[in-house]
Amino acid sequence: MSVMVAVSDSPEGAVALAAGVAEADQLDTDLIIVNLSLTEVDTSLVPATLNFKIVDRKGRDDRDPADAVLDEIRDHAVDRLVIGIKRRSPVGKAFLGSISQRLLLDSPVPVVAVKLGMRDA
Amino acid sequence: MLEDGVRTSPLVAVPPDIAGPHRKRLGLIAVVATFGGLLFGYDTGVINGALAPMKEDLGLTAFTEGFVVSILIFGAAFGALIGGRLADAYGRRHNILMLAGIFTVGTLGCVVAPDWEVLALFRFVLGLAVGGASATVPVYLAEVSPAERRGSLVTRNEVMIVWGQFAAFVVNALIFNIWGEHDSVWRYMLVVAVLPAFALFFGMLRMPESPRWLISQGREAEALKVLKQIRSPERAVAEMAEVHALAEEEKEAQTGGWADLSVPWIRRLLLIGIGLGVFQQFTGINSIMYYGSQLLEDAGFSAKAAIIANTANGLFSVLGVTVGILIMNKIDRRKMLLGGFVLTTSFHILVGLSATLLPDSTVKPYIILLFVICFVFSMQGTIGPLVWLLLAEIFPLKIRSFAMGMCVFMLWIANAGVAFGFPPVVSALGIAPTFFIFAGLGVAALLFIHTMVPETRGRSLEEFEDEFRAQHA
Repeated sequence: MSVMVAVSDSPEGAVALAAGVAEADQLDTDLIIVNLSLTEVDTSLVPATLNFKIVDRKGRDDRDPADAVLDEIRDHAVDRLVIGIKRRSPVGKAFLGSISQRLLLDSPVPVVAVKLGMRDA
Repeated sequence: MLEDGVRTSPLVAVPPDIAGPHRKRLGLIAVVATFGGLLFGYDTGVINGALAPMKEDLGLTAFTEGFVVSILIFGAAFGALIGGRLADAYGRRHNILMLAGIFTVGTLGCVVAPDWEVLALFRFVLGLAVGGASATVPVYLAEVSPAERRGSLVTRNEVMIVWGQFAAFVVNALIFNIWGEHDSVWRYMLVVAVLPAFALFFGMLRMPESPRWLISQGREAEALKVLKQIRSPERAVAEMAEVHALAEEEKEAQTGGWADLSVPWIRRLLLIGIGLGVFQQFTGINSIMYYGSQLLEDAGFSAKAAIIANTANGLFSVLGVTVGILIMNKIDRRKMLLGGFVLTTSFHILVGLSATLLPDSTVKPYIILLFVICFVFSMQGTIGPLVWLLLAEIFPLKIRSFAMGMCVFMLWIANAGVAFGFPPVVSALGIAPTFFIFAGLGVAALLFIHTMVPETRGRSLEEFEDEFRAQHA
């Protein structure tokens, strides 16, 4: 089994990655990092002792980040999804949709949602 | 122009291409495919010169004139979007053949149009083909050419577009000076465009599909067969690996979309790209390419002299693009852009000043013509090709397809907006104020470039991306 963390190109993404590492540590499982950004994900803070793999978005099928994460959950034995969330303006939501909202509602496994400035995050 | 692989070295080492019959085949492919660029130029340029007799024959007003001219460009905006998708789904060759058919139907529809409404409809159809050609031909050329010649073959298409416009101006000048008295003289001008459309169609029937597209469809054996026609035998086999890598890269380029615009630095890059495309069109270059003869007539030339003088705009457009492509990689991008806009803005002001301040005389139209030509040359020698180069290199690979699509769409829309607005604005305000408006837009462009546009020359895409991301996180 493993923990999956969705890491976006934002401060919330970094917080989610840290929380994902903590979660995998606690459950003593592997970590699957789904890189939602369009560049490389920074894993310098992931401890060397943790077994992790990175999955990048690739191709038109992964254009929607939420679909990309849900597909990966289907393809792997995942028992927890970790995401970073933030408040979105109604306008931003209308134009770009909310990835977090879709993951919270559509994920087939329990979701841990972390925010910036949380205790222990 | 899509400068595919401008700053990326070949992904896989391959033996150098050696001389042989395959070279001739590749050369022929380039000639045939660039008929797509030529048609693009001819069909956008032919209205310049056809417009005056058309206005009389069909009774166009300043509004319907702008409408009939600009609807082709609106069509091109959508043709570019749809054309790219169709070329991915059904193949480049298939798409170019279809476009040649649409070019023919659109042209004949315009030629026989009884009124401006029907004319507008078929101009829109032609626009779809023009946009489709702009999205398909450079891709096809890049995909059939070997890495070391890719840049120059794709550039050739860009040059063919301005040659197409120049050719249209010359043909129009000839036809008008022979049959200028006929009401239908504009129909003779338009019908000439079926010739290159036929050449494209029958030529393309004998050309192969793009090997990269075949591989993206999993058609390995066919891809190798095509490569063997256009490469030396050893190179063909060696290049399969490279084509595979490029097909993968192209798949990656289609990753990003709307959702990625929530990332500030990516949003900023997209805004820069859109700004570059829009300001390129706000120089008003295409108001000269579409309305040059009219403008020169307004400036004081007779109808017959104006249409002949207008061929100078076409000639200097060709010379400008040729020079621009030669110097493009030798000067920093920002310097060249800023320099270009300083030049174009100065010439706008000079055109405006000579139109207001000079007393009416036989010399006045020639002075205006001189400054218009200087504007065309400096625009095509700098901003014109440079904006296309920047659009091809500022975006991270994974969002390139989406981002370029957005920028090119907005560029076409800005082009159409200028084409639509130019006749009513000139008829309401006159030449001079219109050019002062272009000068004002040029100043806005200078501010935009100075504050927003990054330097990309001499840096790898990765270096640029890291820097830009760090600055605008």
